Amino acid sequence: MHKLIHTNVGRLFFFVFLGFILFLAGNRVDELRVYQGATLAMFVVAISSVILLTGYSGQVSLGHGALLAIGGYSAVLARNYWSLPIWLCFAVAVLVTAAAGSVLGTAAARLSGPYLAGTTLALAVGLPSVANQFSFLGGEQGLIFDVGMPPESLGAEFSPYKWYFWIAASAALIAIWWLQNILRSRYGRTWRAVRGHEVAAELAGIHVGKAKTLAFTVSSGLAGLSGALLAMTIGTVSPSAFPLTLSFSLLTGAVLSGVTTLPGVMIGAVTLVAMPEIASAISHRLGDSDVVTQNLPGVLVSALLILVVLLVPNGPVEQLRTLRIRKNAKAHL
Amino acid sequence: MFTFIDTILIGLTSGAVYSLMAIALVLVWRSTRVINFAQAGQALLSTYIGFECIGRFNSYWVALILAMILGAGVSAFIEIVFMRTLFKRNTGPIAGVAPIIATLGLLGIIRSGIGIFMGGKETIIRPPVSNIGYTISGHTFALSPFKLVIVSAVVVMMVVLSLIFTKTNIGLALRASAFAPEIARLAGVKVDAIRTLGWAIAGAAGAAAGMLQTPNGTGALSPDSLEFSLLLVFGFIAAVIGGLESLIGAVIGGLLLGLVLAIVLMYINATLLFMTAFILLILVLLVRPQGIMGKKGGRRA
Repeated sequence: MHKLIHTNVGRLFFFVFLGFILFLAGNRVDELRVYQGATLAMFVVAISSVILLTGYSGQVSLGHGALLAIGGYSAVLARNYWSLPIWLCFAVAVLVTAAAGSVLGTAAARLSGPYLAGTTLALAVGLPSVANQFSFLGGEQGLIFDVGMPPESLGAEFSPYKWYFWIAASAALIAIWWLQNILRSRYGRTWRAVRGHEVAAELAGIHVGKAKTLAFTVSSGLAGLSGALLAMTIGTVSPSAFPLTLSFSLLTGAVLSGVTTLPGVMIGAVTLVAMPEIASAISHRLGDSDVVTQNLPGVLVSALLILVVLLVPNGPVEQLRTLRIRKNAKAHL
Repeated sequence: MFTFIDTILIGLTSGAVYSLMAIALVLVWRSTRVINFAQAGQALLSTYIGFECIGRFNSYWVALILAMILGAGVSAFIEIVFMRTLFKRNTGPIAGVAPIIATLGLLGIIRSGIGIFMGGKETIIRPPVSNIGYTISGHTFALSPFKLVIVSAVVVMMVVLSLIFTKTNIGLALRASAFAPEIARLAGVKVDAIRTLGWAIAGAAGAAAGMLQTPNGTGALSPDSLEFSLLLVFGFIAAVIGGLESLIGAVIGGLLLGLVLAIVLMYINATLLFMTAFILLILVLLVRPQGIMGKKGGRRA
């Protein structure tokens, strides 16, 4: 029974069904929620990219913001200079970032733990500033990303935000569906083996370096896609759109989701999207002073991060699964 | 010629501060195998404590000492409350990642917490001695009395630490519990207490770095100031370049980074600083994946 649910056809239908639900939901809610939906889809892709790298292949990246920046800039450049159709811009973003990721991954595969964390941290801080150096990248103001108006066939009342939501949601659905499949394939098993025990994996005939590089490449491709989505939702790309805090909050999202479980990804994404709103509600209660409004989201996210790491280190989804397994084992005794 | 001498001087002084930060990170890494990203946050907190002390006692030097002592206390507190709990509970597949994430969370809490309580206020630490360079034959060099203070503080710190590590029983215990905790425990070393001590010394070093870095820059103190981003990122890069295992490595890494960055700053462009640090890090790690002074092997399995 368990097997049946996870066949490819079944999963494909599940995702198509999910898409239909999203389509219905997108028609029912107001503009702000639709826009948040697009941001949510962007975070889902970005967080699953971190989860793939950290949870499934055991490499820490503190620099996913930099990969998002590569994706965002390449999509914008493809749009502005060659005026490619929008879906092709996203494809360019994925391919360029994956290529950059494979170069980076080759270096990263030689590094472990703190050394890799240091390299990616330095990249996240350094790369966005490169945009200030070259004039075609737009400097501090950045470049405008115009995905164009929604097709006329969708009707005159179809708002741009809904169009963003459609693009982002379908991109996220396709990406996650594909990722689910690859994680259940030979490659997914290889990555988990490497994460579990590097030496044992090598003894079993796995080329650890290649496996890590591939994981980094795939993860970068996803990060590039989410970078392009981010550029679309905010309408521009600039160095300030990809700060170090973005990389940190993606990691936060991944930890909240449970680093080792892809199905939990919604938890992290919803938290990241909802956090500013919750924080502004609380700071409104506290009397709307400037310092509180600015800093409260940081406090809440960090506190949540520490609590999760201390209490449910493997994430809520994994924790529930472990509890259920234990309960079942007790019932059988 | 003058520009070149200035470049070297700027590189050495900023490198000295990065070395202090790197020393703090190395101490923590050696005692608990954790990269403490909260170190810059702790340095920030200690510097705020120092700022308050300057207001109370009207002396930078007393404030520096008090900031170091209280910084050590904060650091020991973090180790006892967070890290011990974390190590006890953490056995899952992300055991290697969890400490990194926990310290990042601490960094966030310290930063935004300070932002909430101290954010609106203007806080400036002035250098206790002049930070205007000496003038020799009409040229003002980038070497001021305060920069001399920075360099000598780092040298004193290094000498004291290496004396502690090589000549005292505590130093022996510190080294023993870093290299072989199980055997050290069998030999009667209180490994947990020693680890806390390692964190405490690191906290003091970080506090010193913060107290020296702030007046050396603009003097303005804020949770998102550039000075602390520099401490966070460059201190860490210096430690990684140096190899994370040795104090000498941390100093070499800090000075190397300081010199390279000063050359880029003076001859090319300030916007490329962070990218240069990244390229330097990649180059060093490609040649020696374990850092300049790190030992090969021992990190597998």
